[in-house]
Amino acid sequence: MKTVLALITKEYKLFLSDRVAMGLTFLIPIFLIAIWGSIFGSADSGPEHLGLAFLNASSAPIGRNIEKVLDTTRTFRLVKSYQDERGNQIPFDTVTIKDYVRKGNASAALVIPPDAYTDTSIGLKLKFYYDPKNEMEMRIIQGVLTQTIMSQLPGAFIEGMQRKAVRFLGLDSGTAFNTGIKSLVSRYFNIDTGKIVFPSLTDTTAASSRESKGGRDFFKNVLDFESEQLVGKNIANPMATRSVGGWAMMFLMFTLTASSVSLFEEKQSGVVLRILASPISRVQILWSKYLYNMSLGFVRLTVLFVFGSILFKIDVLSNLAGLILLLVAASMACTSFGMLLSAVSKTQSQARGLGTFLILAMSSIGGAWFPTSFMPGFIQAFSKLTLVYWSMDGFLQVLWRGAPVVDILPNLGVLVGIAAVITSVSVLQFKKGHVF
Amino acid sequence: MIRINDVTKKFPTVTALQNISLTVADGEFFGLLGPNGAGKSTLMNLLIGYLDPDGGEITVGDDKVTRDNLEARKNIGLVPQSLALYDDISAQENLEIFGSFYHIEKRTLRHRIEERLRAVELYDRRKDRVSTFSGGMKRRLNLIASLLHDPSLLLCDEPTVGVDPQSRNAIFDYLEMLNCAGKTIVYTTHYMEEAERLCTRIAIIDSGTIITEGTLDDLLAKLSYEESISIIKNSSTIGKLELFRQFGTVIDDDDRFELKPNGTFRLSSFFKSVEEQGVSTRFIEMSKPTLEALFLNLTGRSLRD
Repeated sequence: MKTVLALITKEYKLFLSDRVAMGLTFLIPIFLIAIWGSIFGSADSGPEHLGLAFLNASSAPIGRNIEKVLDTTRTFRLVKSYQDERGNQIPFDTVTIKDYVRKGNASAALVIPPDAYTDTSIGLKLKFYYDPKNEMEMRIIQGVLTQTIMSQLPGAFIEGMQRKAVRFLGLDSGTAFNTGIKSLVSRYFNIDTGKIVFPSLTDTTAASSRESKGGRDFFKNVLDFESEQLVGKNIANPMATRSVGGWAMMFLMFTLTASSVSLFEEKQSGVVLRILASPISRVQILWSKYLYNMSLGFVRLTVLFVFGSILFKIDVLSNLAGLILLLVAASMACTSFGMLLSAVSKTQSQARGLGTFLILAMSSIGGAWFPTSFMPGFIQAFSKLTLVYWSMDGFLQVLWRGAPVVDILPNLGVLVGIAAVITSVSVLQFKKGHVF
Repeated sequence: MIRINDVTKKFPTVTALQNISLTVADGEFFGLLGPNGAGKSTLMNLLIGYLDPDGGEITVGDDKVTRDNLEARKNIGLVPQSLALYDDISAQENLEIFGSFYHIEKRTLRHRIEERLRAVELYDRRKDRVSTFSGGMKRRLNLIASLLHDPSLLLCDEPTVGVDPQSRNAIFDYLEMLNCAGKTIVYTTHYMEEAERLCTRIAIIDSGTIITEGTLDDLLAKLSYEESISIIKNSSTIGKLELFRQFGTVIDDDDRFELKPNGTFRLSSFFKSVEEQGVSTRFIEMSKPTLEALFLNLTGRSLRD
């Protein structure tokens, strides 16, 4: 037992000797729990302020009611206009609202058409346009939208049905019908007729504000929810096409973490000293490492996408130029990330720990696991600082939306910018001799 | 010629070198002898330009050695203390990689690789992975990897650490051959035997300062005696320490007394006295003084402390 205790003590001593690496082992789960908690934390929490393009073209009061309810619900942030080239806010029409979704500015649009609700109808017609670039987000949008409308507005449909009944039967016959039903129910179920209450046939306001389970069930049957997928309809394997970008980035960052760790091995073995004893500068070593890792990263990503194309029918050829540019930019940014790990870490353990932490952090807040729209506002702001966000968005633009190169220029610019900034910091560290 | 002029190197918690000045002539086999942590490797790292000094200046030939002066490194070869090799590739591939850093013409490089491999008896194993080599073989490969660009100055930082006697001798022979061929060699070690065997001139370094330098004879002449006396501990030497101290400085080692005779020492009176006190002369050995003794004399500590 003493021997085992001695061995355990040895393990702890070694573990505690590298405080940064030790700290990271605790920081990683804490950070991930915080992220998960912010998304799935309490029971009544959920996605907030999901962008939903909205157009109410109906003059019916129910249209205004729906708009009012959606405006006040915290799940959605209604977008009712778009910005034109001059920066003016232009209200949507039935054409521009579809374009807005097609361009990826919002995942979905709800349109209440002019004929959404008429005096002769008992149901409500709604048009729903969507871009299922993220399946999880789309399911939540559809679910919450349906639930919101159902829970807030069932009385309107009862009112509609009653109005239709009154129009069809007349007020007197309607009242006689209700009285007859009451007496039948009373007789068969032995219930006092005074306790059987029907909604008033004249007071429709009360009915419209009332919620009931019956109303919700009714709503299900009468809601004409016309959906149209605007983007990705012809994609052979939507699931693979949507997720390939995020997984590719995670994979590449993990391989580059391994590369950065190898620099420590070279340093430890004395090879770096031997190289620096020859007429080679630190900066030359750095650039050779950078270009090597970048080219290898590009080849790895290319192989991954080629296999994705063969095995999962991901369409890589339709927008090949954009995809190649994106692969180069993503490889550059990922390689910079690997270099930064080498530059700021003092030991292999630190590089590994920091690498794991940053990869998981960037993947989680960058949208590789959950849609960024599910996250709190401040995390969404942080997500735009990550190379995962811009890479994934770029891959979606190219593979999912079929966007031309000009549309992914912002993504390319940001990725190259990230690469430039991180590389500069790393080069500075390397030149100072903090690394080798 | 190497000129080290008043060089100081400090690290955050320690001053590794303090106002070091040395000169090494072309063609010399210069030894830097000192215990571990004395500053030998730091001085080598400064000589190769891996580190910049905090004070002073180093020149090799006409070139000032700095981290940014790559030109100065073209004529220097470094044999690092660690085995700076790639284990997972063959010996030949290692040499091709390290040779490629000097832009040597391919045919010349191939020829040099073959020649160096034969010289250290590794030619037959050239295609084997380095990971399959013994420690001695790796040391030999480590040495020739520094010679592919045919440098005029070779810096050897304890190149025989952990090496079996056979490989050590092979390395010594090869280095002596290189020195005879005109190469200047700076050799760091904490083994006095190595310095005594190889070096024409030696500097002894301790705690970041050069405590003495010169040829082996010059250095040994600094001792006040020409021979040292070892008295192996046995039953007849018990309680005789004070007796021995009458004849000089005595170091009480584990298994023996080391007597460094004082200026008035006479061998005849020493033997007469110890015989009278019943000490068996069978256990008394006489030897020439060594660098170890000099180091002890200068610092009060052993080289291996």
